[in-house]
Amino acid sequence: MKTKHYKSIAFIVLALILGIPVHAEDLRKIVSLSGSWRFSIGDDNKWASPSFDDSGWDQIRVPGKWEDQGYNDYNGYAWYRRTFRINDIPSDSPIFLILGRIDDVDEVYLNGREIGKSGKFPPDYKSAYDRTRKYIIPKELINANGDNVISVKVYDSYLEGGIVEGPAGIYIDEDNELLALNFSGKWKFQTGDNKGWKYADYNDEGWTSIEVPSVWESQGYEDYDGYGWYRLKFSLPQNFTTGELYLSLGKIDDIDDVYLNGEHIGNVYDLRKDFGYRNSGGEYNVRRVYKIHEGLLNRNGSNIIAVRVYDEQGLGGIYEGPVGIMSAENARRYKNRHHNDYGNRYNSFWEYMFNKFFGNDNSNNDNYDNDF
Amino acid sequence: MIIQIMIIMITIFNKNMIRNLFLSLIICLPNLGGKTFAREGNLVLLQSLEGRWQFSIGMNDEWTSPKFNDTSWESIRVPSPWEDQGYNGYNGYAFYRKKITISSKYRDRMLYLNMGYIDDVDEVYLNGKKIGSTGSFPPNYSTAYNAERIYYIPAEYINFDGSNQVAVKVYDAEQQGGIVSGDIGLYSGRNSVNLDVNLQSTWKFQPGDDPRRKEPNFDDNGWSEIFVPGKWEDQGYRDYDGYAWYRKSFVFKTTNENEKMVLLMGKIDDIDQVYINGTFVGSTGTFPSRHGEEASTGQEYQAFRGYYIPVGLLKKDQKNIIAVRVLDTGGDGGIYEGPVGLITQTKYIDYWRKIKRDNN
Repeated sequence: MKTKHYKSIAFIVLALILGIPVHAEDLRKIVSLSGSWRFSIGDDNKWASPSFDDSGWDQIRVPGKWEDQGYNDYNGYAWYRRTFRINDIPSDSPIFLILGRIDDVDEVYLNGREIGKSGKFPPDYKSAYDRTRKYIIPKELINANGDNVISVKVYDSYLEGGIVEGPAGIYIDEDNELLALNFSGKWKFQTGDNKGWKYADYNDEGWTSIEVPSVWESQGYEDYDGYGWYRLKFSLPQNFTTGELYLSLGKIDDIDDVYLNGEHIGNVYDLRKDFGYRNSGGEYNVRRVYKIHEGLLNRNGSNIIAVRVYDEQGLGGIYEGPVGIMSAENARRYKNRHHNDYGNRYNSFWEYMFNKFFGNDNSNNDNYDNDF
Repeated sequence: MIIQIMIIMITIFNKNMIRNLFLSLIICLPNLGGKTFAREGNLVLLQSLEGRWQFSIGMNDEWTSPKFNDTSWESIRVPSPWEDQGYNGYNGYAFYRKKITISSKYRDRMLYLNMGYIDDVDEVYLNGKKIGSTGSFPPNYSTAYNAERIYYIPAEYINFDGSNQVAVKVYDAEQQGGIVSGDIGLYSGRNSVNLDVNLQSTWKFQPGDDPRRKEPNFDDNGWSEIFVPGKWEDQGYRDYDGYAWYRKSFVFKTTNENEKMVLLMGKIDDIDQVYINGTFVGSTGTFPSRHGEEASTGQEYQAFRGYYIPVGLLKKDQKNIIAVRVLDTGGDGGIYEGPVGLITQTKYIDYWRKIKRDNN
């Protein structure tokens, strides 16, 4: 599709002009998945199973479009499979599967269980060819002492297809080391917006489960924009540190209001200045670290975090860690570590010029309901 | 920073220029090579069919049959206008016939018959089976004298290592007529697809657009007929751009109804939506959401279509209806290149494995 090229060129030019930070995470690769994978065109749900024998399948290089590897002109479904071993499962960090860019739609299974998807297969086809695939791997699915099988179902509408652009591997986010208590994993989730959902005693049993951090698009909410609520119930371990504490929620797309045991503890607009953000529109890139007021935590019983998220368009949700509780010292360390993520306070030359002449420090998102 | 942007933009600009230069070189190459065709992806000449053919003016349906005895016919040189060979001033119908042998070593390849340029309208048969048609015969006469005829030959029509009867029905309205020029011959393309249901035949066709046309019980009796594959410009719809629908009914015979099937639609100019028994099964390109809105198309017309059909949608041993909505945004239009038909997923996987081996 010609427009794909135009889109990517337009993106590069835009990225240059606007200075979009393309990469700001401290990811460390623990398993490489680039190189040879098993490959077959076609589609069969049995191919998701770890026990399926793929030894008769063709082999293909990842990353790389299949058109360059003997499948010139092929459009439609294909599956990729790869077996790997993981020796050390880090206990203090969530694990991510990154498959780079997949053209156009994918659904990924680990040991037979779906862990994420992007775009939509026919009949309601929707491409996600320009999205980097990063899926959180639920640790309970990993076979620590043996083989693990990743199966990737891909659909390509036309032009280039497959796992086209790297990196491909399993990663951890080193910022998680800064957490005293890690909240990555399953949270309760509900689309919509309701004042009652912030309360500690609200019954969220009917809500669905969602992996955090991850864009909600990859967790079954492909087309969803608007409000969504996350809730997590937790208890502090015994003898948990008594100093000043911070709640880190990583990055949220786009806007959030955070409640701990029913009390509002922060909003992205409180933080923007700390991180060098001056204009509106960059909220999705701000790292959320909210101070937990003295006495708010229940040290002997359960606590409830409720996060109200508003996604204006595109990807949404609590999408990048670290998610958990930090000491004051680590919160400071975390801020310092990422202070330069945004190109020295200003996102770009143009943003600097814009702010110099039109300085709009306090403009909020027009569609976000502030009188909540 | 500004200088940096300028340098990068200049680089992009230059890259495009170099790419365009490169592309125009590639486009010129087939012309230098002579006997290959960019449209079909490099066809290779196996056997020239230039020379003497049996010839008769007139028209008779029996003349398409391999059983018909044409030994009493005249002999004529192909390619050449019949006016140059004793039929000066003749306009109207005529038939060309020739027996050819096709070696079984080409069994796994897609085979094409190139009949060159025919003035004005033709219909080509192999062993009595129609394999293609260009232009439109009277009463809805439309010439296609400037179109090169390259017809895909379904493998199941071929008597490998034996005699195969080619029959060409020609209609000439005025001036010179017949198989007038071109590189007449049998050509091979890439590996053949061994279709389980061959849908390369005459379909129902109607320009315009109406969502009800996808329904299996829609009445298409009043529609005209068109041969698939073949662009509609060559079949009576010169200069037509816009929406059109194709419909075809077929009986699905299978021994294993749980086997997943793939519907190959070949190549379509420009974009399409395909329905089987009223259910949407696949699409290439993006249709405008509202009527009258401009569609934006790019390289969709070059995409090879293979739509995976949900198991259970095809009715075994019964009539099934396939309906294809096509939008042509300019230039040639329609389902213009095969293969068109149904194949089991298992065979389709093997087919691509074979192509890969050939490519390496």
